[in-house]
Amino acid sequence: MNCIQKVWLVILLSIGMGRGAIAQQADSISIRVAAVLNPPNDTARSQALRYLAAQKDPATFPLLAAINDKKLYTLDGKPVTTGEGETSGGKEVFTVFYLYPQNKPAATKLPAEQLQKVEISRSERLILNVVLPYLNLTSHDPQKRIMAYGQLVDAKDTGKIALLEKALKQETDPGALTAGREVLFQLKLNETASEHQAKAYIDSLDQNWGENVGLILKNYAEKGNVVSARAYAAEKVKSLESLQGRIEKAQNLFSGISLGSILILIALGLAIVYGLAGIINMAHGEFLMIGAYTTYCMQSLLIETLGVKSDLYFWVSLPASFVVAGVFGLVLEKLVIRHLYARPLESLLATWGVSLIMVQTARSIFGDLTAVKAPAFLAGGWQLMPHLVLPFNRLFIIGLTIVVVSLTYLMLYRSRLGIRIRAVTQNRTMSACLGVETRRVDAITFFLGSGLAGLAGCAMTLIGNVVPDMGQTYIVDSFLVVVTGGVGKIAGAIVSGLGIGFLTKVLESFYEAVYGKVLILALIVIFLQFKPRGLFPDKGRIAED
Amino acid sequence: MGNKKDFGWYACCIALFLIILPLGNVLGFVSGNTISLWGRYFCFAIVALGVDLIWGYTGILSMCQAFFFCLGGYSVAMHIVLRGATALGINGIPMPDFMAWNQVESLPFFWVPFQSFGLAVVLGLLIPAAFALVFGYFIFRSRIRGVYMAIITQALALAMWLIFLRNETMLGGTNGLTDFKTLLGLSLSTPGVKLGLYLLSLLTLGIAFWLSTKLVDSKFGKVLQAIRDSESRTSYTAYRVMHYKLAIFIVAALLAAVAGMLYAPQTGIITPGRMDVRASVEMVMWVAIGGRGKLKGAILGSLIVNFLYSICTSLFPDSWLFILGFLFIITVLYFDKGLLGMLETVVAKLGRMRKPAAEPTGREVMQP
Repeated sequence: MNCIQKVWLVILLSIGMGRGAIAQQADSISIRVAAVLNPPNDTARSQALRYLAAQKDPATFPLLAAINDKKLYTLDGKPVTTGEGETSGGKEVFTVFYLYPQNKPAATKLPAEQLQKVEISRSERLILNVVLPYLNLTSHDPQKRIMAYGQLVDAKDTGKIALLEKALKQETDPGALTAGREVLFQLKLNETASEHQAKAYIDSLDQNWGENVGLILKNYAEKGNVVSARAYAAEKVKSLESLQGRIEKAQNLFSGISLGSILILIALGLAIVYGLAGIINMAHGEFLMIGAYTTYCMQSLLIETLGVKSDLYFWVSLPASFVVAGVFGLVLEKLVIRHLYARPLESLLATWGVSLIMVQTARSIFGDLTAVKAPAFLAGGWQLMPHLVLPFNRLFIIGLTIVVVSLTYLMLYRSRLGIRIRAVTQNRTMSACLGVETRRVDAITFFLGSGLAGLAGCAMTLIGNVVPDMGQTYIVDSFLVVVTGGVGKIAGAIVSGLGIGFLTKVLESFYEAVYGKVLILALIVIFLQFKPRGLFPDKGRIAED
Repeated sequence: MGNKKDFGWYACCIALFLIILPLGNVLGFVSGNTISLWGRYFCFAIVALGVDLIWGYTGILSMCQAFFFCLGGYSVAMHIVLRGATALGINGIPMPDFMAWNQVESLPFFWVPFQSFGLAVVLGLLIPAAFALVFGYFIFRSRIRGVYMAIITQALALAMWLIFLRNETMLGGTNGLTDFKTLLGLSLSTPGVKLGLYLLSLLTLGIAFWLSTKLVDSKFGKVLQAIRDSESRTSYTAYRVMHYKLAIFIVAALLAAVAGMLYAPQTGIITPGRMDVRASVEMVMWVAIGGRGKLKGAILGSLIVNFLYSICTSLFPDSWLFILGFLFIITVLYFDKGLLGMLETVVAKLGRMRKPAAEPTGREVMQP
């Protein structure tokens, strides 16, 4: 009892030092809060709760929310609630949040025994029903706060503007602030009767540029209170829409580039292998699938089995998917491909069979759908301007592609291995005569090509699910990249990969995805009329038959 | 020597398919399902003939035959569905139920000609032919060949598959066209009609086979084989290679379309799943497995693979893709000439006599 009284004093002192009427109000609230925690008689708690519910002061919302969640405790006499629990040193400890007068987390995590639970009966909790819609205004989760702001729009409560203003004063999250302000301006705009004010609010809405501003202004332009301000709203809607159109285009351009980078990663290996050995590897897409499943396995191994809770698994997966896919490629080369050199049509059919087997195997091992958790450091995006966010995962894919393409270039044009690969590509027999071990070069090239596809698969897990036939979605596209780029040419794969990825996204924004695909095919056929051997054909006059 | 043996084979086939199976069906030994099943296999064999003509004899790997097959199938299916249509459009013209479900107001214009059976058949042949003509013209004109041809046709098959999958193309979307009731006033579910379609498919296969043998033995066919063996040399000897290729591309497309037309009423459903890339590749594989460059091989391959498929999917449902995949690999790696080639080798070794390797086609047989 003594202890509680001390707290009382502390609370009274800390609040009492405030100013004027607000301080007095806070004062009376503090008294009610204390009464809730420790009621002097049977009815005092219900009375206090009724008072708090009627006041609708955002400062008390965390406390009321904790009561509503049946998670109100006291710690040294102060009202607290618990957050996420976790096990540390064999004991379960919780994050503790102080609720009143300030809403803030405690410095240390505490076990549940150190907290005293405050039991509040159901009938007492029911008193809070009138404030329930507003409790989330002070939630710790910005998403919940945004939802709470949104709910205020339709709330039938005269004090809601004042309440919202109070809540917004404490708002720290920029996204939630924008959403809250939007609601505030909307409410004010709908209430005001003066043209001057209405225009000012429309301007504020426009500058605030929240999620629904277009809709709000459009509604106002049609049936706003102030008839003379309607045209102004319509004008703003128009300028907003054109701005949004431009942003959408930029977004499309960006996703086109990232789709293009994936195509490049796949087509690079394909182009090198085809140029070198005349192999059409229909199972190339399945190495993509293997890379993706390697990432998935690494994630389960590191996170679930070894308990490493960090993004380490992703950094391990990158080389692992390269190596695993490469080794599979090597095995395939030894078993099947080696017998099919320079017989492209036969290799196409045989590798198609291989791809059937691999897809079916993956399906029977992993089932139909698995997802890889995107690593935390790639969550979110780079905000260039409001509403134009470049997701980090796509940026990462683009970056990865740039690195991989540069490495491949260095490998092909600046290393001994590269000179051998190019020699065998140009003239296999001559290279063999000059002492190049063509079989070994073939095997290494196949390893590298499959590894590149595996890497692409690892990158794919960042933007999509892992399914057994994920490779087949990309294989035809990536062959088109090889065809338009010219066989065995890095530059060809890059230019046509970017071009096709880019065109796909641009056409998709005009037409449905399907018609975009048909149009691209038509464009490629037309393009091949003029450049039948791709963008960068081999120079030379070797007879074709 | 070879002719006599061939004659024995043909006699066996005719006895089995033309006499024993239909008779068994009439007498009740052979179920209607089996009859329909074999009727469908014959349709596949007709497609395979086309694939063999274009790939086995001309060396062009076309990976979109299933698309032409479905063009034929859809045209007949559209006619049948229109005849069974119960929903009424705004203008009073009946339209298929799925359109009513999709809130379509009246029959789309391109469905209208399919109300007549004759027009449906003509369009079912004309559309694939025109498609092959236009697409083939642009492809062969720019001398796309070999692997490039395979990839481009594969992309075509993929794109068309995606288009047929859409609901707004008014072709039934993913579900395809189904619920077939009558064709030319005959109920498709009666055993008699099933047997009739079976015999019609068999007859068509026979005619297609006979015409194809004529074709490959003609001068035209010889030029095709010359193109396969060396395209440049053929063009140096003043043959217009492109015209030959275009012609055979159209012939193959027509064969596929005819097969599709016979196929749809026997299955009772046609969906875009029949025309995806895999379906086309499988068609090529029938020919490869049976024996590429031999018309008999194409028929043999398509019948055997499909028969195997029916058995495997009922016995071990999950294993079919494994079996098919291994068949692909083993055939390509070890049996370059397919089953027929293997059979000939075995026969030659057993009989300890050497046969000339070329000219495996049975040209004398099937003539009246």
